[in-house]
Amino acid sequence: MARSHPVVGSLGPYVFAMLAILSIWQLAVVALAPPPSILPSPTLVGQTLLEEMSSGALFVNAGISLARVSVAWVLSAVIAIPLGVFMARSRLAERLIDPVIELFRPISPLAWIPLAILWFGIGESGKVFIIFVATFFPIVLNTVSGVKRVDPVLIRAGRVLGCARQIDLFWRVIFPASLPSILVGLRISFGTGWAAIIAAELVASNSGLGYLIADGMEILRSDLVMVGMAAIGVIGVLVDAVFKVLQTRFG
Amino acid sequence: MKTSEQAVTRTPAPAIRIDKVSRHFHDAQGEFVEALRSTSLDIAEGDFVAIVGPSGCGKSTLLNMLGGFDHPSSGRITLDGQLISGPDIDRGMVFQDYALFPWLSVLDNVMFGLRHTQSREDARAIARQWLDLVGLADFERKSPRQLSGGMKQRVAIARTFATNPRVILMDEPFGALDALTRRFLQQQLLKIWREHRKTVVFITHSVQEAVYLATRVVILTARPGQVKLDERVDLEHPRQINDPKFRDLETRIFDALDEELAKTFKLEASDGYAD
Repeated sequence: MARSHPVVGSLGPYVFAMLAILSIWQLAVVALAPPPSILPSPTLVGQTLLEEMSSGALFVNAGISLARVSVAWVLSAVIAIPLGVFMARSRLAERLIDPVIELFRPISPLAWIPLAILWFGIGESGKVFIIFVATFFPIVLNTVSGVKRVDPVLIRAGRVLGCARQIDLFWRVIFPASLPSILVGLRISFGTGWAAIIAAELVASNSGLGYLIADGMEILRSDLVMVGMAAIGVIGVLVDAVFKVLQTRFG
Repeated sequence: MKTSEQAVTRTPAPAIRIDKVSRHFHDAQGEFVEALRSTSLDIAEGDFVAIVGPSGCGKSTLLNMLGGFDHPSSGRITLDGQLISGPDIDRGMVFQDYALFPWLSVLDNVMFGLRHTQSREDARAIARQWLDLVGLADFERKSPRQLSGGMKQRVAIARTFATNPRVILMDEPFGALDALTRRFLQQQLLKIWREHRKTVVFITHSVQEAVYLATRVVILTARPGQVKLDERVDLEHPRQINDPKFRDLETRIFDALDEELAKTFKLEASDGYAD
């Protein structure tokens, strides 16, 4: 029984879902016999995956995409967390900044791609800019709500226990109390950043997983496109799993 | 230590002086609320004062002002002659809902207030001593989330006493606990208080709890709050709740409270009809 083994038990549903998708896919290829450029067979995609892995191209491109997201995401966090704290602690700041954020938030980061290319060209800074836009708002908003929702009685406890200065109170009470919510923002934003980098690389790049996919399309290699897509999914799940572990440790 | 104990048994110097304090404000609905009207009360060094009153009588307002979280609209509150202007580690506070820091271990919670003045090692030693005193030495590595309500409050009491404050303010500390846990914590608190003779101001709804613990029971009137009754409790510890003297005192306090409760209900009823 899967129940007897915790790891197998938790992976069971994953394996089952993967097998189901692969079976339906294989059945469709057998029944419809499409040209490989339209729908390659799972085995062909598997072969391509192995090739891309053994040549290292997949890891290089995945690494480049991850690095771009990470740099922009860290930059975003460095600005968004203090801004969120400031907004949560100052009524005036919130009333001034909140409308601006509400106006920019609904604009998809992808809508910034044309301007990013015009402003920064197709180099690294344009992509960092797009990921910055994509990751900024979830971090700000979760920081604001986290800091605002700190239980007032904890703040009082901090003050009667000697946190006389605001700065002590912040580092010893307010920040740790709002950390779980900030971590949620960081996790969500990494996801939105990861989705956005692929789009940015699709349009203007010569490296990264997005480029791998765009390149596959241009040379009619759907198997390569699918390998790129699978890598995006797997890395997304892995990164999210790391955040979940962090969240249970600090949450 | 010796001198302060003598001060308690001789003529006690007032540690806290509440001098004609009024507090009024507008509530969330914009209604004018007069919580306290010209209330005066002197609290001596080493006194254990229980404040009892109908809900909304201003006892929490009074405690908040002692804590420095709220300020009188008029009048003044002093501690050792110093005007209370804000919260300070000198005035420890124990909250009804414990207010433990969930991201810290039990030990780190008790160490929290010690880190400003003590080295890490000293803070740890003092915190361990206090955890031992409340019987939670084996739980120092646990997270507050893993503790029952009674255990959490024992950690909170240890955390407050560990900083050695001048005054300890307790805001219905046992109000959320079941009867048995409550009784156990009352006994523990008494034991600690009798050893350390801190000045305690203790808010409670329970007359029995007040008479069981305190050296003085103060009854506040219905809004606006004023001192209605100020009874010294001269019974030996451990007090027996079926001791006739205990019962007598309880009855006297209940009689005073009943008058105020009647007023409160009349007030609420008239409010109800007016709406």
